[in-house]
Amino acid sequence: MITFDRVSKRYGRITAVGELSLNVASGEIVVLAGPSGCGKTTSLTMINRLVEPTSGTISIDGRDTAGMDVDALRRSIGYVIQQVGLFPHQTVAENIATVPRLVGWSRPRIAARVEELLELVGLPAAGYARRLPAELSGGERQRVGVARALGADPDILLMDEPFGAIDPIVRVRLQNELLRLQRVLHKTIVFVTHDIDEAVRIGDRVALLSQGGVLEQYARPVELLAHPASPFVAEFLGEGRMVRRLALLRVRDARLAQHNGSGLPTASVSADASLRDALDAVLRADGGRVTVRDAGAVLGVIDSDAIREASR
Amino acid sequence: MDLPRYFVDNWPTLGPQVVTHVEIVAMSMAAAAVIGLFLGVVAARSERFSSLILSVTSIILTVPSFALFGLLSIWVGLGNPPVVIGLVLYALLPVVRNTSTGIRAVDPAVTEAARGMGMNPSQLLRRVELPLAARVILGGIRQATVMVVAIATVGATVGVDDLGQPILEALGRSGGTLVQVLAGVLPVAMIGLVADGVLAVAQRALSRGARREAAG
Ligand SMILES: Nc1ncnc2c1ncn2[C@@H]1O[C@H](COP(=O)(O)OP(=O)(O)OP(=O)(O)O)[C@@H](O)[C@H]1O
Ligand SMILES: [Mg+2]
Repeated sequence: MITFDRVSKRYGRITAVGELSLNVASGEIVVLAGPSGCGKTTSLTMINRLVEPTSGTISIDGRDTAGMDVDALRRSIGYVIQQVGLFPHQTVAENIATVPRLVGWSRPRIAARVEELLELVGLPAAGYARRLPAELSGGERQRVGVARALGADPDILLMDEPFGAIDPIVRVRLQNELLRLQRVLHKTIVFVTHDIDEAVRIGDRVALLSQGGVLEQYARPVELLAHPASPFVAEFLGEGRMVRRLALLRVRDARLAQHNGSGLPTASVSADASLRDALDAVLRADGGRVTVRDAGAVLGVIDSDAIREASR
Repeated sequence: MDLPRYFVDNWPTLGPQVVTHVEIVAMSMAAAAVIGLFLGVVAARSERFSSLILSVTSIILTVPSFALFGLLSIWVGLGNPPVVIGLVLYALLPVVRNTSTGIRAVDPAVTEAARGMGMNPSQLLRRVELPLAARVILGGIRQATVMVVAIATVGATVGVDDLGQPILEALGRSGGTLVQVLAGVLPVAMIGLVADGVLAVAQRALSRGARREAAG
């Protein structure tokens, strides 16, 4: 667990982060979101002490990071920066081996780890290990950046707008890949973005900051979208909150109408689909109702009332 | 007298002069590379030191070489020492400037990533900054070497028996001939060209080699 306790960072008279208190639970993805200049990067880099807090403490599993050896601390935390920052003079494999080499792993162990990580991020070692960063696409570079951050299997991963410079389609794919990885890895991830859609899609919790590093709201995405704590949050969330929130809710969690076997709507959705997809299906269906199926079995029927009720 | 004939006849004196010339250049450049690299690294870290060291080394370059060698010989005596010291001073500017420029040109995202992964300053320098700056640094060493090969001839004025000697003798005597001057100038040009070529090859090889080395 990462704990921010009244952490501030001031540059002269500018307050980049003001009295931030926040808990990041182990195994969760916490997204720091907010407009440009609100102190997201500063907050993130205070965790691995690339930036030292002016006041307050950050602790990891109860240990104050200020007392730790700074290089050892950084080697135990994976870090992915927005511009990726791969070493251009080193191959993909050498890049990924950076932290394992720093902490003195044996060569065979490093080689095995590199191969494992390339596999994990979907770049087969045979085709990619010996390439230089210049020989990769932007999306591939980004994946190598993630693999490199995972090098020595850190418990914590810091990601600063890792998909910022990627086109929207590839970005969504990388987001889904990250979620897939997280289901396997269970890392504690702090993820920075200024894209609220990315924040609610990726985050177990979202910390929304405003100018000066003020924490406006810290909540799960469904909570954030349903109950913005202030006009600032509502404005940052933008239009169509409730519709977007439907994308985060599962059909199986809605109260479905029971069916009597006859007269089932022909249109159907999967129980694992989002309520947004269900709403789309309902709007398209002739009778305004669709059948909910779970691996072939019929769970019930859903209509706009059920969706509305589930969304509140 | 024709030139080839002159070379053959005077080889007993010219041969050692070539050797001395190369030795002086090699010694000066070895020292200048080490000192220049160090100063360049410091200059890359500190803006103030950078402007200071670059002005000082630029000013040194404006001092005429026979004056500098002459001045230095007052302190360290005649012969090789004042010349080696003087050549080191001349060679510093290109080496310091290129080292500092090369390191500063490293993408800040790359150095931030390196620091963020827990490289300490010396690991950052050895594994990231110097390998990435290697080409530019060697370019500075190459430039300095070619310059030093030529300036070393002036060492003859303070008693160094290098390829400046035949030139100096030819100019100093009423009976001096063009052939005598050329006997000094041509080997100097040859040494300059060879050194340049060797360093050009090294420049390519080293920037590749540094990459491999980082692979460890
Ligand atoms: N080294 C510094 N010196 C002075 N001010 C700084 C420094 N670093 C950051 N700041 C200021 O602190 C504030 C927060 O910066 P930070 O980089 O954390 O913002 P951010 O939320 O990451 O923004 P963005 O989305 O644009 O990356 C900004 O106003 C910035 O100008
Ligand atoms: Mg930022």
